[in-house]
Amino acid sequence: MAASLFSDELKVFQENRDKWLRVNPGKFVVIQDSVVAEGFFDTYSEALKAGLQAFGVQRNFLVKQVWTTEPVYYLS
Amino acid sequence: MGCAELNWNTLDQKDPFPCISVEVMNSSDVIERWRALGLHCPEPCAVMALIDTGASTTVISKTFANYCKLFQTGEGSVFTTLAGLAVCGEHAGAISFPGTSLRPINSLRIVSADFKWERYYSCLIGRDVFTELAHDLRRAAKADIN
Repeated sequence: MAASLFSDELKVFQENRDKWLRVNPGKFVVIQDSVVAEGFFDTYSEALKAGLQAFGVQRNFLVKQVWTTEPVYYLS
Repeated sequence: MGCAELNWNTLDQKDPFPCISVEVMNSSDVIERWRALGLHCPEPCAVMALIDTGASTTVISKTFANYCKLFQTGEGSVFTTLAGLAVCGEHAGAISFPGTSLRPINSLRIVSADFKWERYYSCLIGRDVFTELAHDLRRAAKADIN
């Protein structure tokens, strides 16, 4: 089976989630490989800008909101 | 503040509306950086989108997301639909509404999913877009009051 596109980044997120949750719940983080971009961001848009600044566009990076459990979105 | 007028026959079950034509593309920040690197950037392409007040976020078909080469920033988001759970990708995109005066949204999280049965549209405009456009309404109201 093909590896997940963001498996490394999601691992870093899982490892740090509790720590980040205590200080920055609901904020966005940006991760590429095992590197976390500096700062926590209020909006997806701000996080994207920071990610582009830190990592550029040649490879994807993960933008993820810090929540205890993953939200489930609803479609009608 | 923008405006779009949509007409549809609520008594006609074959009428797929309310739909609106939208253009989905990468956000300008991504496009600028791609161009600086000499990378090819697909032209924006207009598709029909269903105005879906039941969708918490904007969704496009995976096929269309791949066609637009939308910059991917996540995966594994879980959505619940009438047909069950779906796992989706997340992308940074921009959306505009040709033929209307609605303001384009330059940076928006858009999720991609398989559209299996829909024939009339390849995008669902979710409440995130309404929220974004409602900011304009609030700003305009504030300006009127002041």
